[in-house]
Amino acid sequence: MKRTAFAVLLSSLVALAPAWAHHSFAAAYDTTQSITVHGTISQVLLRNPHSWFMLDVKNDSGQVEHWAFEAGTPSGMIRNGYKPNVIKSGAEVTIKGFRARDASQKRGMLRELTTSDGQVFGLFGPQETK
Amino acid sequence: MKHLAITAVIAGMLAWSAGAQTPAPASTPSAPPAPRTADGHPDLSGVWWQGQDIGGRPAGGAAAGRGGAGRGGGRGAAPRTFSSLYQPSAQAKAKTLSDKDDPSLDCTPTAFGTLNVSLFDVGAVGQIVQTPKFVIMLTETYNGFQIIPIDGRPHRDSVPPSNRGDAVGRWDGDTLVVDKNNFTDTSWISAEGRVSFHSDALHVVERYHRVDANTLEIDATLDDPKVLTGPWIVPKQTLRLAPFDQIMELACSAGDVKALIEGAAAQPSSGKN
Repeated sequence: MKRTAFAVLLSSLVALAPAWAHHSFAAAYDTTQSITVHGTISQVLLRNPHSWFMLDVKNDSGQVEHWAFEAGTPSGMIRNGYKPNVIKSGAEVTIKGFRARDASQKRGMLRELTTSDGQVFGLFGPQETK
Repeated sequence: MKHLAITAVIAGMLAWSAGAQTPAPASTPSAPPAPRTADGHPDLSGVWWQGQDIGGRPAGGAAAGRGGAGRGGGRGAAPRTFSSLYQPSAQAKAKTLSDKDDPSLDCTPTAFGTLNVSLFDVGAVGQIVQTPKFVIMLTETYNGFQIIPIDGRPHRDSVPPSNRGDAVGRWDGDTLVVDKNNFTDTSWISAEGRVSFHSDALHVVERYHRVDANTLEIDATLDDPKVLTGPWIVPKQTLRLAPFDQIMELACSAGDVKALIEGAAAQPSSGKN
């Protein structure tokens, strides 16, 4: 059963994260509102200035919700080893992220994407497999 | 069924933050000397970064390390921060601003750079192309550029203020000294990753020294008599020659970042800085 899990992250460590480079994600996403969703990729947009991972998520009522997670710059992702089309439509993934400040939006900042075969991607592409 | 879970923080972001505080060696062991142009000056050309991209792993393994901020200010002396030099009126203004007011949300470049490297602007990579007449700084983010004449000409008095300022350069021995003025007052400095604004009186002096083939050191001083109580000495930045010779395009338009802007609008209005 696919589930949508909402998590509240109260760690003050998040506050230590720098307003690093490029657009301020902190302005749009609440880093105290962690979220985890599991679903099927509907589209990957490797585009400027930021990439997006769209996915369909079945909620507890069995209805399909359309979620969008914003990731890093294509240039940064590619230099970190991300290959276009490595994650295709239809792929089953779990995404952890931070929810948009506008909670009415099914949107978040991608923190970690894990594929069904265990590949792990971060905001800026491939991460070490845990 | 909804789950309540405590998750880990963004390790990569924190690692980046910690890494940025690690002083880098001044030069790379066994690196060839800095190349020179036909006129005998050091050739600053190349793609430069701090050894990795944002959120990435160091190119060439951990031994490649990362450049980044030196401590500055001498042994035992904590360097002054940009915002610690605010005049009282600037301090009051800063309290009214937060991330949601960041001009880069609508793709406005900074007057300096989020990583204290003007070559990067709000990114982490930049390319320098040097000719006998110009040093051209190409910034990946927003397709930014700065053309720096090095033939002795003075600042232009016929151009409007700009986000990145008007630049001229001269050689001081093997160091390229770049002088920038004529800034707009609408962009942010983004010094030290904080909300940080400036006036049209901003004056930036940068000193570029290619220590060896793989290492570029940058010292900078920012002064703004309308905003600061004194010059801000930027901690020395040590950049590494990237293992690629061409930056990419990172275009940006306000429409592209609609989600960020909408999200920012949903943020409480009280200042946080």
